[in-house]
Amino acid sequence: MARPEEIPEPTRSAVLNIECPVFETTPFLAGKPLSQRKVAIVSSAALVQRGEAPFPFGSTEARFIPAGVPANALLMSHVSINFDRHGFARDANTAFPLERLRALAAEGMIGSVAETHYTVMGSSDPAGMAAAADQVSGQLKQENVDAVLLTPV
Amino acid sequence: MLEERGTPTTVIALARNQAEKTRPPRALFVPFQLGRPLGTPEDAAFQRRVMLAALGLLERADGPVILDDYAEEDPNWQDTAGWQPPLPPASARPTAPADWWSAFAAELAALRPAWEAAQMRFGRSIVGLAGQPPERWPEFTTAFLAGGLPTVPQHATPALALRFLCDDIKAMYGEAAQAHGPAPSSRQVEAWFWRQTVAGALLVALRTAAMGSDNNALKTVGGRFFVPVPWLPAA
Repeated sequence: MARPEEIPEPTRSAVLNIECPVFETTPFLAGKPLSQRKVAIVSSAALVQRGEAPFPFGSTEARFIPAGVPANALLMSHVSINFDRHGFARDANTAFPLERLRALAAEGMIGSVAETHYTVMGSSDPAGMAAAADQVSGQLKQENVDAVLLTPV
Repeated sequence: MLEERGTPTTVIALARNQAEKTRPPRALFVPFQLGRPLGTPEDAAFQRRVMLAALGLLERADGPVILDDYAEEDPNWQDTAGWQPPLPPASARPTAPADWWSAFAAELAALRPAWEAAQMRFGRSIVGLAGQPPERWPEFTTAFLAGGLPTVPQHATPALALRFLCDDIKAMYGEAAQAHGPAPSSRQVEAWFWRQTVAGALLVALRTAAMGSDNNALKTVGGRFFVPVPWLPAA
């Protein structure tokens, strides 16, 4: 993990002491070999396309990112000012590794890249995100996606 | 939440304690700084190894819960010897709004070539949330110092318009700082911005102005979302 001693206060305490939801069940689905799976990314960075409205504070929505969106169109509208954005500025893959996923598909390490990827506001309470999860799940099934890679910031 | 709905998931986790509490089906703990789940920018081989480690958890049957540690560190977390900031340290420390306007406008003009070089080099920019071109930033920001509450059509309130402009200012300087040579660490960029630029000092002044405002939204947003606490001036 990010070493707690290297995270400046007050972010360190916020990260360490945050109230986390407790999930009553722990699902665990088996699946095909990785080389046959279609993979989608879910980013918590509240990504928006240039010109699109930023995520409102506390938003529990999920937004769709078409796989064809150019990296230059993606901006980060996350409410927090306490995590690094310079890495993402230099290379979008640092937080949203779509090009890396494409490269893995080209190599045959994964089966394919989903047509749609997803982003949420990571600071929002997941308890309010059931509708967003239903919406994302519906799209994943429509595209026959077999695996989701979550990349929280 | 997604696996419960039928799709297998794996997560690259920066906060181990949070993953230990939420117990996702599969998580790879990475020793990288917040904001960089893939670790090092522009190192495709490094990022590929992280991806394969996280995706590889999907092929294991010994869950739930699988919580695995990733050992390799991000070399770009450490400061880079030889990195030079794109501008010399600012000498101006204005107080009147008109002086802030001219000092900030001059600094933006001086920074422009490095910013444009960065966009050429990386093929991208994350500046754009504010919905205003840099030419308008000095007037818009210093209006707040004079007690004004300007806004733009893209944002619902002056507080949000200024908040996202602060994000754009930080982004532009962060990009310009990486225009040439080896990649600076995030800490080097932040130290330069907050301690050596007019823009960094301006954001601190905007925070002070916002916290003294009668506009409650501006007071809250300015107090929390303009300047990270580690970079607030010592009281």
